Amino acid sequence: MERRSFLKGFGAAAACAMALPHVSSAAEEKKSGGPNEMNFETAVAAITGGKALVASAKVKMEAPEIAENGAVVPVKVSVESPMNAKDYVKAIHILASKNGNVRCANIYLTPANGEAFFGTRVKLGGTQDVVAIAEMSDGSFLTAKQNVKVTIGGCG
Amino acid sequence: MKTLIKIKPKDYKAGDVVKIDFMAMHPMETGMRKNKDTGALIPAEYIDEVKFMFNDTLITKMVIWESLSVNPLMSISFKVPGAGTLKVIAKDNKGQSVESTTQITPKG
Amino acid sequence: MRTLSITAALVCLALLGTVNAEEKLSMSDADKKMYAELLDNNPAEMDVAEGEQLFGELIGSAGYAKMLGVKEKDLPKYIAGFPRYVESAKRVVTLAHSIQMAAAANEKPVPKLESKEMVKISAYVKSLANGQKTNIDVKANKHMQEMMKLGQEVFEERRGGRGLSCNNCHSMDIVGQRLRMQPLPDLGAKETAAASTWPAYRMTQSQMVTLDKRMQQCMKNALLAELPLGSKEMVGLEVYVTNKSKGNTIAIPSVKR
Repeated sequence: MERRSFLKGFGAAAACAMALPHVSSAAEEKKSGGPNEMNFETAVAAITGGKALVASAKVKMEAPEIAENGAVVPVKVSVESPMNAKDYVKAIHILASKNGNVRCANIYLTPANGEAFFGTRVKLGGTQDVVAIAEMSDGSFLTAKQNVKVTIGGCG
Repeated sequence: MKTLIKIKPKDYKAGDVVKIDFMAMHPMETGMRKNKDTGALIPAEYIDEVKFMFNDTLITKMVIWESLSVNPLMSISFKVPGAGTLKVIAKDNKGQSVESTTQITPKG
Repeated sequence: MRTLSITAALVCLALLGTVNAEEKLSMSDADKKMYAELLDNNPAEMDVAEGEQLFGELIGSAGYAKMLGVKEKDLPKYIAGFPRYVESAKRVVTLAHSIQMAAAANEKPVPKLESKEMVKISAYVKSLANGQKTNIDVKANKHMQEMMKLGQEVFEERRGGRGLSCNNCHSMDIVGQRLRMQPLPDLGAKETAAASTWPAYRMTQSQMVTLDKRMQQCMKNALLAELPLGSKEMVGLEVYVTNKSKGNTIAIPSVKR
């Protein structure tokens, strides 16, 4: 066996009681989705009623490119909008594309908010896209996403 | 359920857009975790709805899923129309509900 | 033992080398900023608020200061000096110990060191020292000197199935190298300031954790038997590790991985 890879295997066991380090991939992490299990396509259809999602620079989805862990991943969504009675963001939907239940939050806004914004922290079961869908008062659906690499690292 | 409401910044005028940071102490159990000792599934227990009211008018309603982290933060913007009472009503899937209030006090 | 130490060193280096070669590991500044913002709304904030309530029921600041023989206004600076020798206990005690002493003195049920209650109360009490510099004095008297010496021995002692010591991952020579994607921290550096930033909310545990509990978790992962909280060895270790952070500003609770 090539020395480096042998030592890599031994090292992980010696230094740490846990498995080899890696960036988790969605395939490895897929588990049963729990009582609210729903996949991405179904969740999107429930939001849009089949209407098209339009990728837009007006939607700003902020999430880390590399997440230190999957339990607390900061997420912030802002949507450019005057937020007046004629033109406002009716809802911001946040989805985690590969979680068992992809739905994270449905935020129903009103012009009283002044700005279309929502911030929170989500649990991610593995590397995936965090997707924002903005439901506009004119009936359109704008979207943006950020791929988040969930790392399983460290020693404990 | 313990909660916290923070208005940022601390000083603001009528017409300013402030942030409302709402936090609730809650386990946000997904229903997919197993009890380490018994091996049994810990039932899902999570905040599923939050309503923000200003002077008894609904300004924002949230449908929340178990995917939010433990002790969840829900942060929104609010355009201050004037002085008044901000009330946040958080409910979980077990029916536990808590009402928290704070005063909106614009300076000028 | 010489063979074991060479193997351990090679193991660490090989592992570190291999991991460095693989993927993009460093967090961008934008990512770091997002994580820093977690401190504005620390998930442990409400636990500390509960700690304040529990502490009030147990004894409160005035009673606590009196028990320690300290003026209430001097409490923050005093708390920043734990672990310290306390005359009435005739030994070096941790902040958690002092809370147990306070409970006993006030004839209240004594919270166990491992309890959630103790974590909340000790986090609140330590937060009274926020802004103070960690001012542990390991030379104060022979008791502190003894605990410092014991702590260093514990830190450097190889034990467990793999013959590892704390030093294998936390010596100054190895600081900065990556172990399983995480850069090994300098426990005393301003950025880490281990003793000055624990208790902290541990994201991977979804709960607030104290420094000694964190060290137990580290021992478990290195396959070392966990030293019991409050034991002489653990107190010595806490003295040694806290001394590394001397001069760093206390800011708790923080958020850690």
